[in-house]
Amino acid sequence: MKEEQKSQSGTPLIIIGIVLAVVVIGGWYMYSTSKSAPRKPVANATPGTTPKTETIPPNAPPGATPPNMLGSPTAAVTVEEFADFQCPSCGATHPIMKQIQSMYGSRIKFIYRSFPLPMHDKSYDAAVAAEAAGMQGKFWDMHNQLFTNQKAWSADPNYREVWAGYAEKIGLDVEKWKNDMAGLPAKSRVDADLQRGRGLNINTTPTVFINDKQVPYPEVTIEGLKNIIDAELQNAQQNQAKPEAPASNAAANSAKAPANSK
Amino acid sequence: MKTIRVIAVIIALIGIADAVYLTVHHYTAEAVPCSLTGGCEQVLTSEYAEIAGIPLAAFGAMAYFIAFSLALLSIYGNRTAWTIFGVQVVLMAIFTGWLIYVQAALIGAFCQFCLLSAATTFTLAILFFVSLGLRRVSQ
Repeated sequence: MKEEQKSQSGTPLIIIGIVLAVVVIGGWYMYSTSKSAPRKPVANATPGTTPKTETIPPNAPPGATPPNMLGSPTAAVTVEEFADFQCPSCGATHPIMKQIQSMYGSRIKFIYRSFPLPMHDKSYDAAVAAEAAGMQGKFWDMHNQLFTNQKAWSADPNYREVWAGYAEKIGLDVEKWKNDMAGLPAKSRVDADLQRGRGLNINTTPTVFINDKQVPYPEVTIEGLKNIIDAELQNAQQNQAKPEAPASNAAANSAKAPANSK
Repeated sequence: MKTIRVIAVIIALIGIADAVYLTVHHYTAEAVPCSLTGGCEQVLTSEYAEIAGIPLAAFGAMAYFIAFSLALLSIYGNRTAWTIFGVQVVLMAIFTGWLIYVQAALIGAFCQFCLLSAATTFTLAILFFVSLGLRRVSQ
């Protein structure tokens, strides 16, 4: 009996040792594999976020009309981003998108869609705040303020006051902006974008589409986006050279903008 | 009685795996998109995610490892181990309660892996109380 106890008392220690070894080796392995595979274009996706390459069907909900758009409405390449002002990875993507906009200017059409995720308590309000600024023609100014100062307001219970500060800074009529935030038109634009996002089965932000084709998240880098946009621009040029084949992705895409409908 | 401890060992292992994943994530800071189901960077990159430069998840991994060891020792007849296990998981559950408050009230976002950790901690505490109840019944 005593001997049996003695032999048993070693067993848990051995198991503990094995588990400790597995934990250390497993942790190290996870660390080293994720270090050796940084975000790169054409890299494998993060586990659990397997991006499906989706295409926007022509009958998808249109979203806010007219959309919040930069660049040229007639550009051959459309970049459409669904994002959430409170989402840190959207905040991280913001400078990438700005860089892309300044690189391509009027050669692309850049559309921002609000897709506030329910787990972010202030992101719906933030989207409405940006739309309300848009009613004074300053959507993009508010958009920039919200993304660049994301950390400052995300955890601030007086976030509306903080935003009012941004509104003043970008030269809004703050009273009108506050009224517009409370009103229905700004909200319905956010809801329209949300509906479009839901219609496309978006479940993560940021989700980026280029000419209606979803860009896998690991490729949402300056280099990754540049590769796709360049290829699409080249495609468009080739299609222009051959007028008998006009049904490119770009043409299909522009069909959803009311000004360009056939 | 023994079944409860075996379950506790398994749950603690899940807790270890989760906490190790979060610790590694903290150091590699891999960019992860925000998702409808949670798991957002916001919680993991917040100021509450570390104490004195050490990620909370590392403390979690350590705590789960100790809980695992204690539960395992108790299966092999060490009664004191189970008592220490009980004290530890109750403390962990209290701390976890605070962390849920932090996510809900201070950060305003939830992280799915942190919630999984909360679930494992609460399960361990419940298992301990169930074992106390069973002991009283059997006596």
